[in-house]
Amino acid sequence: MRRLITVALIVVPVFAQEAPAPPQAAETPSPVPSGESWLTGSIDVGYRWRTDVGGSFDTYRSIVNLGSGPKMLGADFTLADPKHRAFDQIRVRANGWGDDPYQTVHLDAKKSKLYDFSADYRDIAYFNFLPSYADPLLGRGIVLNEQSFDTRRHLGSFRLDLFPGNWFIPYLAYDRDSGSGTGATTFVTDGNEFPVPNTLRDQTNLYRGGVRFELRRFHATLEQGGTTFKDDQSVFQNPGSLNFGNVATPVFGQRTDLTSLLATYGVRGSSIYSKGLFTAEATPWLDVYGQFLYSQPDSNVHYQQAATGNLFLQSQALFYTSQQYLVSAAAKLPHTSGSLGAEIRPLRRVRIVQSWLTDRLHNAGSAASTQTFAGSGASQQIAALLASSLVTNYNQEEIDIFYDATSKLTLRGGYRYVWGEANDAVLPPAGLMSSDQAKLRRNVGIGGVTYRPFQKLTIRTDAEAASSGGSYFRTSLYDYQKVHAQARYQALTSLNFTADFTLLDNHNPVPGVNYDYRSQQESLSLFWSPSGGKIFDFQGSYTRSTLHSNIGYLIPQTLTAQTSLYRDNAHTATALFNVKLPAVQGIAPKLSAGGSFFISSGNRATSYYQPLATLWLPVNKKMSVFADWRYYGYGEAFYLYEGFRTNLVTAGLRFTR
Amino acid sequence: MRSIKLAVLLLIAAGLTTRAQTPAASPPALPAGYVGSETCKICHEDIYNGFGKSPHQAIETNAKRGWMGRGCESCHGAAQKHTETASAAEIRNPAKLVAAAADKICLTCHLNQPTHVGRLESSHAKDQVSCTSCHKVHANGPNGLVNRKPVAINEQCASCHTNIWAQFQKPNHHKLPEGAMSCVDCHNPHGSIRKAMAQSFAANEPGCLNCHGDKRGPFTFEHGPVRFEGCASCHEPHGSANPRMLVRQEVRIVCLECHANLPRVNTTGTIGVVPPSFHDLRSPRYQNCTVCHQKIHGSYVDRNLLR
Repeated sequence: MRRLITVALIVVPVFAQEAPAPPQAAETPSPVPSGESWLTGSIDVGYRWRTDVGGSFDTYRSIVNLGSGPKMLGADFTLADPKHRAFDQIRVRANGWGDDPYQTVHLDAKKSKLYDFSADYRDIAYFNFLPSYADPLLGRGIVLNEQSFDTRRHLGSFRLDLFPGNWFIPYLAYDRDSGSGTGATTFVTDGNEFPVPNTLRDQTNLYRGGVRFELRRFHATLEQGGTTFKDDQSVFQNPGSLNFGNVATPVFGQRTDLTSLLATYGVRGSSIYSKGLFTAEATPWLDVYGQFLYSQPDSNVHYQQAATGNLFLQSQALFYTSQQYLVSAAAKLPHTSGSLGAEIRPLRRVRIVQSWLTDRLHNAGSAASTQTFAGSGASQQIAALLASSLVTNYNQEEIDIFYDATSKLTLRGGYRYVWGEANDAVLPPAGLMSSDQAKLRRNVGIGGVTYRPFQKLTIRTDAEAASSGGSYFRTSLYDYQKVHAQARYQALTSLNFTADFTLLDNHNPVPGVNYDYRSQQESLSLFWSPSGGKIFDFQGSYTRSTLHSNIGYLIPQTLTAQTSLYRDNAHTATALFNVKLPAVQGIAPKLSAGGSFFISSGNRATSYYQPLATLWLPVNKKMSVFADWRYYGYGEAFYLYEGFRTNLVTAGLRFTR
Repeated sequence: MRSIKLAVLLLIAAGLTTRAQTPAASPPALPAGYVGSETCKICHEDIYNGFGKSPHQAIETNAKRGWMGRGCESCHGAAQKHTETASAAEIRNPAKLVAAAADKICLTCHLNQPTHVGRLESSHAKDQVSCTSCHKVHANGPNGLVNRKPVAINEQCASCHTNIWAQFQKPNHHKLPEGAMSCVDCHNPHGSIRKAMAQSFAANEPGCLNCHGDKRGPFTFEHGPVRFEGCASCHEPHGSANPRMLVRQEVRIVCLECHANLPRVNTTGTIGVVPPSFHDLRSPRYQNCTVCHQKIHGSYVDRNLLR
């Protein structure tokens, strides 16, 4: 009985407690109105007409490359699942489909506390055929770019982040980059180069995965990844054709020619890397961060080349009619990089940021080759074994001190020391690439001011002044001053101005170099949107840029001193004016007009105009009609034959949901 | 004795049951000085509603974050005085703070994330460009807190970097004005181990190789500048009037400025000046060095980069 009483005394109060309220979800519902559509977004479809291209069509394709035809010009959709089953939201955006040169699509899908997924795909046309670039035959009336290509690159990127908990986030990612197409290149022999077609085909796959630990005061990311790479480009000339090459002058009374060629590169590469990142709030006055990476990419090559014709080997003074060239090569490039840094806040108004960085690449390669030459009744073989090495160790240390003088003024001062060494060697030494080494030593003083006298005006300036004791190249930064200043002013709620100034002044006074370089840009931009853009808005910018560069060299054929002078003085402007026109029969059209121009004088004096106008006619809430006109006009002062001009007109519909 | 054990077990079970039945995340009592977001809503309804659709809504609703029901005050601070006086001076407005102080509020939650490993080295942090310059904390659009579409990203960057945007109006440029790319494809606005906040790809390789994978190597015979100083040694990545976005109007000039045929005289060395070449540059045959030295980014098979 006592037991029953005891049990009753305990159990009854438990069940006698007030009935609990229904358990609340950990997260209360978002105040999103439940009546919102599960699918929202818009899609633009239309047809584009291109008028005949006046001038150089090849240049047009190299720079613009837009064609006629039906197009899906853009799309942006959000798909929301109100019941949050497989996903909360999927966002898709796409651009330029319908044989346009830049076709892209991007997808984001997410489900709260479960996953984030993103996919990105781009199909990029990469065409380049500018005769002025590489046409040794232009003097003979042959328009040909001997380094041209017509390729497409396909880029895919996929990433999945999982959220099994709040602080532990595993992720997987895959990237693929492939290119394929055709082009023109040269087959180089002693005494002549033969322009020939080539096919280009390469592919890189990157696989990576890792985990992120995100805690309140500490974060670490550990990632492991690897790549595979292959390059199967080939160069060829079909048998039966006769190619006299770039040189018409006979060698020892004989004219060289190429009658057939097949050269294939069998390149295979791979890489494994390990990476670690961390950030930590060690104490309330100290944040630290850092990263470390080690990777070791390698490549293996089996190159095969077979050529026939009347060809010449200068080193042996030998004419031959067929050649076989085999190369087996390999390279390994261990790469280590790391950084460490800290922000220290010893006083309320003072922050000290200290950072250190190193980046080390050590490439070692070797190539074994055999060339077999066959001529009239005799053959000859040349074997070679080469070893190559390229090493760079880059290091940088910097300290910056920030002082908030007032709530409106922040001052910054700092010092950076950059040092490193690089060497590049091929053994046994011969030709252009033999052995070179250099050291990098640079001291840089840093200063900056951020001033906000009132909320509508912000002025930022930063400057660097450097003195070097060594640099890798003649055109590298040496003794330089760099200045950047910017002012942003909100004159009215609807009117903003931005002024920008940059300067880089670099000198290398070392005898034999004597390099002077100065580039300067001044920009002014404004954005005016009265009444929140209800009637019209305007944005425009103007930039003036100048570049002066002088550096000496010896003319190769005479070894007399010459100075390379490069000048570029440019004016660039952009503008876009949007206006809502008076409604006609309930339809309120919207007109956008503007574009850009670029005019330069100097060593590559160029003009490039891109005006545009677009008219929008909203038919109803779900559909608009639009018409778009664009003009592209390009001209060069020294290469008149590369100019072009054309008009593009697009008419289409926008469907909105 | 058994009854005592049973009583203890039942007591524990009852306690657990009671605990399980307690509302999981009922808003805790407001600390002194705080008024709760519902109070803020009375005057700032638009912002409150927008905030409700933004990713930051998690602060308001997730008890684990410690600000349940006080999402507004998680950034703006305790608002009791502000509600009593309706004075803007009585509430913390991050937009009026110095950038570092405003960032500190964001970093209270976001410091320990991989995006911030290079933050302190970024020129944005050094130039006092705060998080809110790019991220809209109250944003309620489908894009979340920051622009995601390439065209919108580019417009945002160009609003400060006007002179850089001007370079994209030159004829040879990466296709940003066309909307095929965005600034963040090449730059990491939070900072990077690379110069100019350039994106690094995979094993801290230059972000350029993300699209130009055929230039990755490793090559048996490397061309030094590509590894030592990167693509910008010879190319203007934003745009140029010169073909292939080169830094000079013709290829031979790009080459000759380094391969100057001058003997090395300084003790620290400068790479690439010797040995001399005797090509007759007056001949069209030699006016573009890459007609022969076509594997200028590095060759798998030829020391002179001829194939």
